[in-house]
Amino acid sequence: MVGLALGFAVGWWLWPVQYTNTAPRVLRQDYRDDYVVMVATAYEAEKDLEQARQRLVLLDAEKPAAPVVELAERLVQVGGSAEDITRLARLAWALGALPPSLAPYLEGRP
Amino acid sequence: MSRFPARPVTLIVGLALGVALGLLYTWVIDPVELVNTYPALLRTDYRQGWVRLVALSYIADGNLDRARARLEGLEQEDVAGAIGALIEEYAAAGRPADTLRSLTGLAEALDVRTPAMLVYLYTPAPSPPVLVHTPLSAPTPTPVHTSVPPTPSPPAVPTLDPTHTPTSQPGSALPSPTLASAPGSTPLPSPTPSLLSRLYLARQEQVCQPGQTPHIEVVVRDERGAGLPGVEVWLVWTGGADRAVTGLKPRDGAGYADFNAEPGVRYALSVGELGRPLVAGLQIEACPAQGSEAPAPGSWRLVVEPRPL
Repeated sequence: MVGLALGFAVGWWLWPVQYTNTAPRVLRQDYRDDYVVMVATAYEAEKDLEQARQRLVLLDAEKPAAPVVELAERLVQVGGSAEDITRLARLAWALGALPPSLAPYLEGRP
Repeated sequence: MSRFPARPVTLIVGLALGVALGLLYTWVIDPVELVNTYPALLRTDYRQGWVRLVALSYIADGNLDRARARLEGLEQEDVAGAIGALIEEYAAAGRPADTLRSLTGLAEALDVRTPAMLVYLYTPAPSPPVLVHTPLSAPTPTPVHTSVPPTPSPPAVPTLDPTHTPTSQPGSALPSPTLASAPGSTPLPSPTPSLLSRLYLARQEQVCQPGQTPHIEVVVRDERGAGLPGVEVWLVWTGGADRAVTGLKPRDGAGYADFNAEPGVRYALSVGELGRPLVAGLQIEACPAQGSEAPAPGSWRLVVEPRPL
């Protein structure tokens, strides 16, 4: 029992697994949000939808558009940057996942 | 028989077994849950992807403060590597000069330096570009090309036909650009016809090298014969066009740019301004046959210089 306790102490507290090669999926929420905004902004610059989709798959492999829509709706609720919301709406539309609530941003009328 | 001597061994073995089981559980079965990480902990390729996204976002929104905040905590090596690679990639792909200027502006603000960005940093933004010479010294006579007998070339160096005029400067860095407009400064009006308007094809040579991919090399020089970096060169053919900027391959010279070319296609070459061809009807031609081997397609080396005033 003492050995087990020591093992737990070392493994969880003194010398836990060191993560250095992490993926965007485990970024803190604010970094994840920033990542999604950057993907949408980069899409505006590159016009490369497949590239944007591949970047979003790193956050949600099954529903790549979900983080975009979720963030855009959250920004709408909290009164976030209209520019960011517009970019997110454009990307969501390009991915075929634009909800009606974001349609006004797509038309440039937030 | 007493069991006392066996107890320390049992204890040690038990302790070791316990530690091993504990570590197995905490490191493998149920390790520390990974949440709330930050960009600096991302895997190398994701980290570079993050920097690339920051740069691309900067192109779109031009917000330097936001870009800096997003790069906080990342190693300068990562930032320099990813932005440098992006600039090189965009320059090679012939992306719009404005995009490259924006990117190089970000790179400069972040203390990132690559040869390609030097070209764009010192390329005047207004279009059409106007080049003004820095009065470093009295003008020297424009060298007049005369036919020179072929000179023997070492095996590793391309053989030029009919003349061989090596211009590469191995290991040399880009010279200080002679274009007038520096970042933040007001472009000076040119008192004389711009250099670009005086450019003409001074020399055209076929380059024959075994195994080479057919291509068209362009060397743009100023009146003193020095390579001019940052000059846009256009190759146009039926149904397509390609753009290059001189100086992106410093090893080949500051005024050097090249294009891949295909046999059977007629090309027109413009320097500085699209639509003002200096050369038209340029085609890849076969090199002179050597021995029993079939003639290989040759490349062209075009030297462009300004006409004397």
